[in-house]
Amino acid sequence: MNSNIWILSLADSVAIATTLILAALGALFTERAGVLNLGIEGMLLTSAITSFLVADASGSIWFGLLLGIILGAVLAGIHAFLTVVLRANQIVSGLALVIFGTGLANFLGKPAEGKTVRTTIEAMSFGALTDIPILGPIVFGQDIITYAAILIAIVASWFLFRTRLGLEVRATGDDPATVDAQGLSVASIRIRYTLLGGALVGLGGSFHMLAQSAAWHLEATTNGIGWIALSLVVFAGWRPIRLIFGAILFGFTLQLPFTLQAEQITFIPSALMPMLPYLATLIALIALSRPGSRNILGAPKALGTPFVRDER
Amino acid sequence: MRAPFRIIFEQRAETPKYLSALVPFLSVLSALIAGAIFLQATGYSASETYSNMLSDGFMSYRGITETLGLSTVLICTGIAAAFSFQMNLYNIGGEGQLYLGMIGGAWAGLALGPHLPSFVMIPLLLLIGALAGAVWIFVPAFVRSRLGTSEIVTTLLLTYVASSLVKHFINTPDSFFRAENSAFPQGRNVADSAALSPIGDTRLYPTFFVVVVLALFLYWVVKKTEFGYRIQVIADSPRAAHYAGVSANRTTMSVMLLSGALAGLGGATLIVGPFARLDQGITLLGYGYAGIVVAALARNNFAGIIVSGILFAGLRVGGEKLQISTDTPKHIGIMLQGAILLFALGGEAFRRYKVRAVRMKAVAQ
Repeated sequence: MNSNIWILSLADSVAIATTLILAALGALFTERAGVLNLGIEGMLLTSAITSFLVADASGSIWFGLLLGIILGAVLAGIHAFLTVVLRANQIVSGLALVIFGTGLANFLGKPAEGKTVRTTIEAMSFGALTDIPILGPIVFGQDIITYAAILIAIVASWFLFRTRLGLEVRATGDDPATVDAQGLSVASIRIRYTLLGGALVGLGGSFHMLAQSAAWHLEATTNGIGWIALSLVVFAGWRPIRLIFGAILFGFTLQLPFTLQAEQITFIPSALMPMLPYLATLIALIALSRPGSRNILGAPKALGTPFVRDER
Repeated sequence: MRAPFRIIFEQRAETPKYLSALVPFLSVLSALIAGAIFLQATGYSASETYSNMLSDGFMSYRGITETLGLSTVLICTGIAAAFSFQMNLYNIGGEGQLYLGMIGGAWAGLALGPHLPSFVMIPLLLLIGALAGAVWIFVPAFVRSRLGTSEIVTTLLLTYVASSLVKHFINTPDSFFRAENSAFPQGRNVADSAALSPIGDTRLYPTFFVVVVLALFLYWVVKKTEFGYRIQVIADSPRAAHYAGVSANRTTMSVMLLSGALAGLGGATLIVGPFARLDQGITLLGYGYAGIVVAALARNNFAGIIVSGILFAGLRVGGEKLQISTDTPKHIGIMLQGAILLFALGGEAFRRYKVRAVRMKAVAQ
């Protein structure tokens, strides 16, 4: 067994986990406010290609990231307008966003097909710390966005569970009628956190594109990470800290097929390996919805239902 | 800062007939206008793009027959989605169930095809495909009805599993489904008795008419039968259904299994129709996801799905041709589908509510 491959693969898992943390945090904020946005995959793709094109044209990664974030928020804005203002079905609107976003990303990405990113986000170095065997490259060899993502998750946890504003968000997802009775606007809170969620997803998509010197290629670009992020939120019980660990676990399973292939471990046919993380998520979801463990999950009670004030 | 006016939604007691017809029409129109602005902004000619798509997708003999051919599978995945959506069950894994229908159909065509005459083989193949689709949704259906596990996530996750399965069957050496003497991995053609021939020199297969009849039959089932009535009751008010002694669990199970079977049937029509073999290219076509759009535009009305299925098939066929004849990316077709659905969702609000903008003062009084 080659330990180098395993260290590299663990470091890789963290990179995938970063995209997952950002995208899933976006979904988490949105869902905590009571809005289900299934459009994550389409938003990731759109912000990925946007950041690619902008970074390629301007030569600045940061400008690419910024535009990627904005695009994520714009698409989330469409969802917020349709579902919160016009009270459209959240599930159908999210799916429409996936299809629209996929088409849009492909359309915009046509000229970039097969091109690679000019510059990539570079890993940080902490000198001697990074050189520590095994632990060094994994803990101290990541890039700034990865550290930022973990920090954002920790801040998000503090915000949601320790501040008044966070309480308002959670209450909007659990019991919008009470929030409304307090004189707060349910619609405005829901729109704000859907937009914030979109921006986080946009950051995730841009990071995913710019962190690796990969070519723009639709199928390989996000590979269903948006959908995995949605199941990760459920897996983490709508809690940001649990989400960090879940993301690392998911990141590891997603990346495992490649490592096993490199190690030529073939107890499972290689074409079947990519299905492992999906099966693992499925089993986890079913196990977590057993009657005894349902309270561990703690889904926002008003998730997916539009709020209509009873005016009679 | 507060807006000077508020938007007020008044629930309509009854939706006027003309609105129900007008809203989808206006949604499509608005999406096309938005698409035109986008095309012009990105440096393509909107009028040229649209006229090309219209003639290649709908107005020429080749175009319309190809569109009707493609609509066969879209109507199938459309009724599959609508069947579960109407009961607020969101089977969004029609894509994976479609793959399984193809695998099941291809297996039947390869294993049983050589021994059976065509008039037995074709219906049997379609049935086995539908069965495979139902098998694929069994676990999500079971855990949804027993444990309440969200069917949205489970059906979707299984789509990725199904896609690996298709690739596995094609790429593994010595696989039952793989053609033996070909340079690159591809599926083995099913027996002649398991493949239908297209009508005349078109790419339209008789399965189109089967699917249309099936859609109309389901329309009748939902409107007129006791089973359809039960679905409506549970969809409208699960609590009322419970008190009326309607078993939601059982109905959930059968509705989801049927939904999976319909998507599987869609995959099987591809085997007897244009593909004649298991083809991993299917994983890039997104026919299953498109079915959700088709169903949503028709607001889960089974007769309406025939129309929206043909419309979306035409957009795709027109889009494909576009990339061949001009340099406009074919994905404009997919984008327009998404845009049409987004506008349709927005339009839905105007169908259900009277929307008025009122000055803030008036509200305060």
